[in-house]
Amino acid sequence: MVESKRSKLVQKLLTYVVLVAFSLFCLFPFLWMVITALKPTDEVRSTRPSFFIENPTFDNFLHVFWNTGFLTYFKNSLFVGVAATALSLLISVLSAYALSRFMRFRGVKLVSVTMILSQMVPPVLLLIPLYIIMMQLGFLNTHISLLVAYTTFTIPLCTFMLTSFFSSIPIELEEAAEMDGCSKIGLICRVILPISIPGLVSTSLFAFVNAWNEFMFGYVFINDDSLRTLTPGLSLFKGLYTTDWGSIMSASVMSVLPVVILFLYLQKYLVEGVTAGAVKG
Amino acid sequence: MRVSVEKDAESLSRKRRPTREVKAKQIAYMFVLPAFLFFLVIVAYPLVSVIWDSFHDKNLLNTGDGRFVGLANYVEVIRSEYFVQAFVNTGIWTIVSVAGEYILGIVAALALAQRIRGRAIFRGIIIIPWIVPVVVAGLTWTWMLTPDYGVLNSWLVKLGLLDEPYYFLGEPDTALLSIIIVNIWRSFPFYTITLLAALQSIPRDIYEAAALDGIGPVGRFFKITLPQLKSVSIVLIMIHIIWTAINFDFIWVMTEGGPVHSSETLPIMIYRFAMQELNIGLASALASLMLAFMIIGFMMYYLYIQRKSGNRGGM
Repeated sequence: MVESKRSKLVQKLLTYVVLVAFSLFCLFPFLWMVITALKPTDEVRSTRPSFFIENPTFDNFLHVFWNTGFLTYFKNSLFVGVAATALSLLISVLSAYALSRFMRFRGVKLVSVTMILSQMVPPVLLLIPLYIIMMQLGFLNTHISLLVAYTTFTIPLCTFMLTSFFSSIPIELEEAAEMDGCSKIGLICRVILPISIPGLVSTSLFAFVNAWNEFMFGYVFINDDSLRTLTPGLSLFKGLYTTDWGSIMSASVMSVLPVVILFLYLQKYLVEGVTAGAVKG
Repeated sequence: MRVSVEKDAESLSRKRRPTREVKAKQIAYMFVLPAFLFFLVIVAYPLVSVIWDSFHDKNLLNTGDGRFVGLANYVEVIRSEYFVQAFVNTGIWTIVSVAGEYILGIVAALALAQRIRGRAIFRGIIIIPWIVPVVVAGLTWTWMLTPDYGVLNSWLVKLGLLDEPYYFLGEPDTALLSIIIVNIWRSFPFYTITLLAALQSIPRDIYEAAALDGIGPVGRFFKITLPQLKSVSIVLIMIHIIWTAINFDFIWVMTEGGPVHSSETLPIMIYRFAMQELNIGLASALASLMLAFMIIGFMMYYLYIQRKSGNRGGM
């Protein structure tokens, strides 16, 4: 290349400096979260906060685990997340199949447009009417209300992700199965789904993380402490244990952990899914 | 004779093809029906009812008689004490956040696009903030920003930038700004991933040709990289302007719009009207106003695109 060795070296050095700076910026809050969670109360409440933990302890974790609603919240979030994922996957598989194969029909095109639109509708705007609907149907303070709200936002997302996976399956494969007298449902179950398992996995994880991280609906729809999900539960910790940051941070660590583990597993898919969705706009 | 046979075959196939097509259509519609029903019940109907309620006197305690009140709700919202402030706050919150996110996003994306060792690890680390629930991000930063034991305050004092610990989230002049920084921290990775994908699709020979022409790295960035990223950037920024303007979680978790409404944005105000004052009419009017702002924004964007493509056609 034309550039001098020196300017290339400078460029490389600069790149590393920038990347290290970004990494510190991104990681520091986590590091501090973990350090705080492992500190005993007197070290948490020190006017000279340090990275070094003199007496590391799991007391905060144990306290949060046994003496607070954490475990209940965690179970509720897990249940709502899994149920919402399953429901939206069930619906999205059908609609994604239609979107990938039958775009030539006007009705299917209409549904795809409504999905794009519904992705743009801000949840805050739906909060009030959905609250009233749930109240009238008696679903307020039940997990059904959350299930419905989360599914609304995950169906378009899952449909678009699955459509791109299904579109890559050659149509000849289906024709062969149809010749053998397979019904459409049978075809989806026996041909399409087994091939698209990686797509299904990444789509469902995406939907799950979405439901797991959601805050507003969980905060507004659920009042009963035994039904509360994790994110609103955590935010209420702040009010209940104002100065007990050791406990709040250990609860944070425990609620981030599943998401981070999932993420490590699906990083590649996540990046692909995000970019595919965003670049297509 | 032969002609008639051909005709028969033709009419037969014409008949058969439509039935097959009709069947396919039935299946297609059956498959999209559940998703469409969800849309009707949970998105379309609520949206219509928001607009309907905004013209009626309605509240959750049933003291409102549900009568038509015209624009009274809108007038009351606009005249309410904190509307102008919430409106301005929403603007600051959105513009500063999106600008900061874009700048950080593009710098990180440029660095990640270089061919260096350990790129995958750096990419993994930089995406992490985006994975974390907003609530956890909010709580962790709140803890780091606390005046008495917060690590950031202690550092700033040590560095001599502050004389004494400052209650960033508790003072009206810094509350919103602090939340903006946290929002930037959590949201910029999305820009990085998207811009990185776009950067990697720019053909390398353009850069090499420019380098041959004696254009330096800075010149190449402004003359090649930025123009190539333009369309992705516009989509990215449009999406985030909406996502940021309507965001409820960050501000609610960190300050609940306080102190003294100094970090209150329109979504927080909607929540306050609906859940604290239980006045559905007012909340719906404000929500409808936000919807109108959004639609106007979209239309302006659409017209801009139209005019641009029109110009290109004229050339």
